[in-house]
Amino acid sequence: MNSLDSALSPPRTVDAVLASLPKRRRAEQRFRAYGLTSIVLGLCFLAILFGSIITKGYPAFRYTTIGLDINFDPQIVDPEGTRNPSIMAAADYDALLKASLSALFPDVKERTQKRALYGLLSSSASDTLRSVVLNKPDIIGKTERIWLPADDAIDMLAKGQFDSSTVESEGRLKSQLTWIEKLEADGRIKKAFNSTFFTKGDSREPESAGIWGAVVGSSFTLLVTLVLSLPIGIAAAIYLEEFAPQNRWTDFIEVNINNLAAVPSIVFGLLGLAIFINFFNLPRSSPLVGGLVLALMTLPVIIIAGRSALKSVPPSVREAALGVGASSMQTVFHHVLPLATPGMLTGAIIGMARALGESAPLLMIGMVAFIVDVPTSINQPATVLPVQIFLWADSPERAFVERTSAAILVLMAFLILMNGTAVYLRRRYERRW
Amino acid sequence: MKIREKTSSEVAFNRDYGKTVGEITSLKPRIECRNVNVYYGEKLAIQNVSLDVGCNEVIALIGPSGCGKSTFIRCLNRMNDTIIGCRVTGDIIMDGKNIYDNGVDVVPLRAQVGMVFQKPNPFPKSIFENVAYGPRIHGLVASKAELEEVVETSLRRAGLWDEVKDYLHQPGTSLSGGQQQRLCIARTIAVNPEVILMDEPCSALDPIATAKIEQLIDELRVHYTIAIVTHSMQQAARVSQRTAYFHLGRLIEVGETAQIFTNPRHQLTEDYITGRFG
Amino acid sequence: MSETQKSGSSVKAEGHTVKRFDGELSRLQLRVLEIGGLALSQLKDALHALKHKDLVLARKIAPRENELDLLEVETDADIVSLIARRCPVGGDLRLVMSVSKSVTDLERIGDEAIRIANIALQIYGSGSIDPSDHMLRDVNVMGSLAVDALEKVLHAFDKLDEASALEIIEAHRQLEEEFEAGLRRLLTYVMEDARNIGFAVSMVLIIKALERIGAHAQNLAEYVIYQVEGKDVRHQTSS
Repeated sequence: MNSLDSALSPPRTVDAVLASLPKRRRAEQRFRAYGLTSIVLGLCFLAILFGSIITKGYPAFRYTTIGLDINFDPQIVDPEGTRNPSIMAAADYDALLKASLSALFPDVKERTQKRALYGLLSSSASDTLRSVVLNKPDIIGKTERIWLPADDAIDMLAKGQFDSSTVESEGRLKSQLTWIEKLEADGRIKKAFNSTFFTKGDSREPESAGIWGAVVGSSFTLLVTLVLSLPIGIAAAIYLEEFAPQNRWTDFIEVNINNLAAVPSIVFGLLGLAIFINFFNLPRSSPLVGGLVLALMTLPVIIIAGRSALKSVPPSVREAALGVGASSMQTVFHHVLPLATPGMLTGAIIGMARALGESAPLLMIGMVAFIVDVPTSINQPATVLPVQIFLWADSPERAFVERTSAAILVLMAFLILMNGTAVYLRRRYERRW
Repeated sequence: MKIREKTSSEVAFNRDYGKTVGEITSLKPRIECRNVNVYYGEKLAIQNVSLDVGCNEVIALIGPSGCGKSTFIRCLNRMNDTIIGCRVTGDIIMDGKNIYDNGVDVVPLRAQVGMVFQKPNPFPKSIFENVAYGPRIHGLVASKAELEEVVETSLRRAGLWDEVKDYLHQPGTSLSGGQQQRLCIARTIAVNPEVILMDEPCSALDPIATAKIEQLIDELRVHYTIAIVTHSMQQAARVSQRTAYFHLGRLIEVGETAQIFTNPRHQLTEDYITGRFG
Repeated sequence: MSETQKSGSSVKAEGHTVKRFDGELSRLQLRVLEIGGLALSQLKDALHALKHKDLVLARKIAPRENELDLLEVETDADIVSLIARRCPVGGDLRLVMSVSKSVTDLERIGDEAIRIANIALQIYGSGSIDPSDHMLRDVNVMGSLAVDALEKVLHAFDKLDEASALEIIEAHRQLEEEFEAGLRRLLTYVMEDARNIGFAVSMVLIIKALERIGAHAQNLAEYVIYQVEGKDVRHQTSS
């Protein structure tokens, strides 16, 4: 009877669905698990990356200073008492430092030991004294506790970056360690905010090396890039999208813009080298040339982003404007462009962020040079943040490791800021229609 | 009172349907179309359409999808220009001039022949700006007070003033669908055109909003010439004085609306309006 | 109508996209034929009863009227609902309109048939002497004309035959002429013998009823023409 029933009644869809349901559910759960795993994995990598950079780079923002009681001996600083800045500037401040250190550690007599003792301080410590005196000439003849930068090795030591085996293997460090311990006991060791890192240019000495030169170089370079690529890119995008006739020529241009966006950035560097430096004789290593090269690189990105932003404006808006008799130009500038602006700006900012992080093409045009001075114009030799990072990463000094990471942190802060601005702009000006 | 037997060629689709049935001319023509052909690339979208759009009349264009009625209406203010590969031949005469002649500027043409689209498409600006845009770009107003007056008149004519007068600076997109469409009509009449083209203006609206638009069309007829494309035959029957039936790019029949809906003369028209198309 | 491009809408190349609409329309059309058939048999029975003095048959006619009335009411309800739901236009609209009017005319025909049957009952049931066959002659002639017209018009309605509808309209004139001739003849009978007067009055009423039936048949034919042609040919003096 049963078989007869089943033969008579047609199979119900719901039975088949129920039969296949567990399998489908399992497939769905597996897929979700894959997705979740990949996200977790990605987050892990990100955490490791950021963790290592932050832990390495964070100490660079603080720097060890040693407090010394300096007797500003008028005989040494200003023998004639004229308070003439040029005389005061030329004074032998090292002598003051040495005197102070010798007074602290009277039992150090041997020559090499003495050199090691004086080596506690950075070579820029005398510069610090000089600026103190020049700022406050009254101090001459008095004794005051001045906080002076320690040597980079001492800084490392004080931050505990050297393990004991390194200390053991180097005799000089070993004796310095005992002095440091004594100074620390006296309360003469202090960690202060490392303003040098943010206000100085590059240096061979890690303790006086800063990223300001690179930040200014990057700013000039980006300024040039922005001024060139934004108007040109947006104008090109508007023309190609709204006005250009559709023919073989515009197709050809479109294909080439897309190709250009995919060209490796180092090729743009070669191009810059060949054209801007060798042909036009523009100054090598300058933000001007760097900006030009990066503008070339960013242009296709801005054009493509701009065109897609224009394309995403619904045609009904154009029809509406044309329908009331607006000319094509009025249509574009009154209606289409305001709607496309957030998208265009986002594209431009992301292009700029890419340019900010770019180093390869700039290496080609000589921005890899060691430049101490902070540039003051777009024609002066300069370096940029990523190249600075590249340079420091190459340096042998232990103290440059943390500076490299710190510079990466700064660069990333800028990138996040720029991307954040892009997101903000899109949120702020995006209109629903 | 003799009735000719329908020949087989009149039954078969994609063949010659013969000449347009009915009176294509109007007593007071505003736009005269003669032998209009429209090509999209190589494809012939409209074939040999001749039709007058008369002053102060509402002419409804009906027909199945893809029959070319929208294409035809968009020829009348050259909105087809924006479509790549679109080519128009034949004469569309307005004020004694062919609007497709070389050297005719589309800007004054479109100021004269306004258009309302299928989907309500207010600008993403305030209600006021939506209506003020046309008069402003065409320089129709000299002062701010005058502009405000034009905006109010247009909104009143579109039957929207009482609903929006306190929200003039709210975005136009915040209105309901029917209000948006009436805003679009207000925007169109703010330019004070002579002809208003409507491309399925009620297709996205509910019956009540539709009724309001239809009432509006009836009121606007006094001042304007209106050509309306619609998929709803009932709507064509309700709002229009003349009805034109398009089929596969041809104008099959045109006549008084009452005649078309009680006694169409062409078999295709009859089949379409009575719902006999497979 | 030389530019008319289509033939009668009776034969459609294809049905409505909505199949049920087709069904509803053809049901309306069938209703008319059904009511028409009923009215026709009422008329025939009434005439038969009159001719053959069949009182039993004559008594049956009036109760059957209820059936006809019921059908009329039902058809009207169907028409109202069809207009409300389907919004018929074009040929469909004309069909609905002509059905609506036809039903009314057919119902009237039914009423006239009852009138004839009642007169027959009155004549034969009163026990008075039977009328002479001479006087019934006109009734018979006109009766067959009216039956003929009604049959023909129902056929024309079924086939949407415009040509025969036109013939019916033309033919109505003959009935009118017969009516007038009959009146005159009956008048001579009355003048001959005043005792005939009661009977003659009955006869006048009957031929008047038959004349009305003819007029209703003519109306039906006009609706057929309207349905096919979309032209209103009522109240036109045909040449």
